[in-house]
Amino acid sequence: MAREAADGARAPAWRRALSGWVPLAVVLAVLVALMYPVALLLGLPLARTRMDNVANWVRATTTPKPLSAAPADVGAGAPAGAQLRFGGAENLTTARSVLVYGDRPVDATYDLLDGAAHLRDAVAGPLLEWGGALTGPLDARSPGDADTPADVATGAGVSEGVAGHVFALPAGRWEALYLGGRLLVPGADDAIERPDGVLATFTFPEAETGPVLVNGQLLLEGEGFEGDGRRIELRSPAPFNASVRRVSGDYAVLDAAAGTIALAEASAEAPRVATATLAVVERLVGEVDGVNRVFHLQHAPLVESDAGRRIMLEDVELSPAAERPAERVDGERKAFTFTSDRGVVTVNGAEALEGRDFGRAGPVVTFTVAPPRNAALRQYPDYVVNDPATGVITLAKPPAAGSRVWAATYTYYDHPACGSSEIECFLSMPQHPMPFPHWIAKRIPAFLTNYPLSDARNVVRATLYTAGGTLTALAFGGLLGVLLAIVFVGIRPLERALLPWVIASQTVPIIALVPVLLLLLGNAGVTVQTSLVPAALIGAYIAFFPVTVGTVTGLRSVDPLSLDLMKSYASSPLQVFWKVRFPAAVPYLFVSLKLGAAAALVGALVAETESNNRLGLGYAIVGQVQAGNVSDVWILLLISAALGIGLVALVGLLQRFTAPWERR
Amino acid sequence: MPEAPVIIDVQDVSKLFRVGKVEAVALQDANLQIHDGQFVSLIGPSGCGKTTLMRLVADLIEPTSGRITVAGKSPKEARAAREYGYVFQAPALYDWRNVLANVMLPLEIMGWPKGERRARAEEMLRLVGLEGFHRSYPWQLSGGMQQRVSIARALAFDPKLLLMDEPFGALDEITREVMNFELLRLWRQTGKTVVFVTHSIAEAVFLSSHIVVMTARPGRIREIIEVDLPYPRDHETRESERFFELTTRVREALRLGKEGEGAVGGAASVGGKGAGGPAKTLAKVGY
Ligand SMILES: Nc1ncnc2c1ncn2[C@@H]1O[C@H](COP(=O)(O)OP(=O)(O)OP(=O)(O)O)[C@@H](O)[C@H]1O
Ligand SMILES: [Mg+2]
Repeated sequence: MAREAADGARAPAWRRALSGWVPLAVVLAVLVALMYPVALLLGLPLARTRMDNVANWVRATTTPKPLSAAPADVGAGAPAGAQLRFGGAENLTTARSVLVYGDRPVDATYDLLDGAAHLRDAVAGPLLEWGGALTGPLDARSPGDADTPADVATGAGVSEGVAGHVFALPAGRWEALYLGGRLLVPGADDAIERPDGVLATFTFPEAETGPVLVNGQLLLEGEGFEGDGRRIELRSPAPFNASVRRVSGDYAVLDAAAGTIALAEASAEAPRVATATLAVVERLVGEVDGVNRVFHLQHAPLVESDAGRRIMLEDVELSPAAERPAERVDGERKAFTFTSDRGVVTVNGAEALEGRDFGRAGPVVTFTVAPPRNAALRQYPDYVVNDPATGVITLAKPPAAGSRVWAATYTYYDHPACGSSEIECFLSMPQHPMPFPHWIAKRIPAFLTNYPLSDARNVVRATLYTAGGTLTALAFGGLLGVLLAIVFVGIRPLERALLPWVIASQTVPIIALVPVLLLLLGNAGVTVQTSLVPAALIGAYIAFFPVTVGTVTGLRSVDPLSLDLMKSYASSPLQVFWKVRFPAAVPYLFVSLKLGAAAALVGALVAETESNNRLGLGYAIVGQVQAGNVSDVWILLLISAALGIGLVALVGLLQRFTAPWERR
Repeated sequence: MPEAPVIIDVQDVSKLFRVGKVEAVALQDANLQIHDGQFVSLIGPSGCGKTTLMRLVADLIEPTSGRITVAGKSPKEARAAREYGYVFQAPALYDWRNVLANVMLPLEIMGWPKGERRARAEEMLRLVGLEGFHRSYPWQLSGGMQQRVSIARALAFDPKLLLMDEPFGALDEITREVMNFELLRLWRQTGKTVVFVTHSIAEAVFLSSHIVVMTARPGRIREIIEVDLPYPRDHETRESERFFELTTRVREALRLGKEGEGAVGGAASVGGKGAGGPAKTLAKVGY
């Protein structure tokens, strides 16, 4: 006792407590810090593949850039020297553009700069042809309607009609939309995150102010969502796999099938359709010298199956068709019949040249060497896309010198959807192979309270359930282990007979053992899905072994002199056991019980997993792994680890009370 | 003065230890009679079989040949009758029992009533000077203190015969002297028979009524020296001429034993050869 007091005087209690915890905390901090580079190391390659895969890119469609402002007199032409603005033509240059009306190039020279064309020649009218007006607004609500809040209606709106965002297009082809004579430029951005049914916060590539479109439904700021720069917070989570877009231009198509559009700003007046307008379009890049047949589009990579792609030569649309031969390619046949009597012929994607590789008689093509068996033989009557990645096409016939080859529309992959850098793509990944620790930490409160305590799926409840199973297992396993140890030490022949079997029992993988046990229990009438029995049995099965080994060692650890002393007292074997052997084994017993507690937890978790016991932690782990919720898997790992540590600490506490003599 | 009965009778006892193929003779042809109430010290070089002899008497090991009688019974019966208390060379305390509980252990085993156990243990601890340490655990004590607990434990159940194997080896000089006085007083008061192993010639002479000098390899009893110092013995005893004579004699005997082992073969029979002369020599020492 005097010594204890001396120990206590060495340092204040708080210093001693601190010196115990500080090393642990440092190790923990280092581990947590290490998780960051590891997360990047594992995640960045995935982010790069995500970024490199064009399937994950945002698509963009180029269309003719119409007049920014509808002329007052649409029939009149424009004189030489006039300045015309075209909406969205900022990136086009004189050499890379063609001036068209409808699908017809206009024969007038011009200089194009920053979306404004300076005409050198006069352009004959008409410059624009009006179609019908859109119907709407379809989402208009009268200001008096108390149930739903009114749109921001102007004072004039009250008398002339109510403003709204949604309008329906008239039937038929159209080229541009104008509102009050001003061109409406389309534009919408997709959210970076993929809706998983729970997510309500989304990020967009740029900060915007327009309404949000979720699956063809219009949400207004302050009503359906709250916006803050690039981020928005929906009132209710977006449905799984929904399309979440934000209007970035003047309007966006709301529902293509229904023919509805959503305006960025509410309007009482309906926009109007132009069926034709003077516009600038993209010219294909390449020599037009009467010989060259190879051109490339200004944007790439191309979307391969693009039904809307329209490539024009002067006012003729080139067919994107690809023809197959009527005959089978059997490796011997040389003559093949196509539908058209012209076109680029390819064998397995490589162009075959007329005159050298084959001769033509109308639609019949005769090769000098038979194409190999099952080769892909195609004829493209007008043009072939050689390489979608670079946007190179080859025309069947070289265009006449000075003719204009242009693209009315085509769709290409514009930029990675996940972001503009690897790090951005990494950050926006819906699941990380290893999340940043602070992301995991942030999810913990939500994870713990995901379900109310009354719900069996509540994690705290599941943890307590598994703890119960483990403790039961440990109690049975510990008892069995101690009894076996006593038998082994007391009766040597029994040890020789049984010990090999005890060791063998631990070499059976529990993964294989559990199903057998579950079948037996099921046949015995136990509902394994809701019962603690499988966890207790399997936990006990693997917990007893370390206890047996440890206790045997402990019982044999007795100092021979102690036994001599007992002998000199002529004590009975029972007295020797209770007064010497057992107390001497207690420290060993507790060490092995700690090992047993950890083993029992493993056993309980495996049993819960394999019995589909929804009440326990094991099932939750498997569920989250299957759902791919990496953060939640990590949280469950932390909870399991904490449970393990807690159980071992509990054994340690028990040791403190039952074996106070041990030096510390 | 009536002759006290023989309490330990060792006749032609040999002990062989076999470790693998090697045989070691720990004790050869030992003959010794110890009478009731004597204080006999065993002294001899390390490995001469002192502990072996004590363990034979205590029935912790069995002799290879020869016969031992303890209090008229076989050693086994004597052990069953709890005739002796044994203080081992090492303290052999139980880690999980505090000092008090360690001393109470034999009393528990022998079924003493609870209240008496405690009182007796406390009394014994007072005797060895450890009043303040009832609640300490063995690892909190020094080696000497541990050995004192072990002595208290051996005395606790008041055995007729005390076997003490170097009990004071781990003590400092002053404590050792105090313990010597205490042991002497206890022995005189209770009339117990004490067999005491020591390496200190002065201690042996001061405490004993008889000193058994042993030689090593093989372990033999060389000579039995009667210590005729008067009682009560005190500090003056240590300065007396007789004390010096006796220590010199013991030292001589030890040295001769060391020099010529074969030459002193006959000395083994000094304490032996039946219950004849030597036994009488022993018995002559009264108190
Ligand atoms: N269990 C044993 N197995 C083998 N040899 C033993 C055993 N016990 C003792 N011996 C041997 O017997 C001899 C006598 O040993 P013993 O312990 O009796 O000596 P000792 O006189 O008590 O010595 P010390 O003064 O050092 O305690 C020694 O040589 C020892 O090696
Ligand atoms: Mg010894």
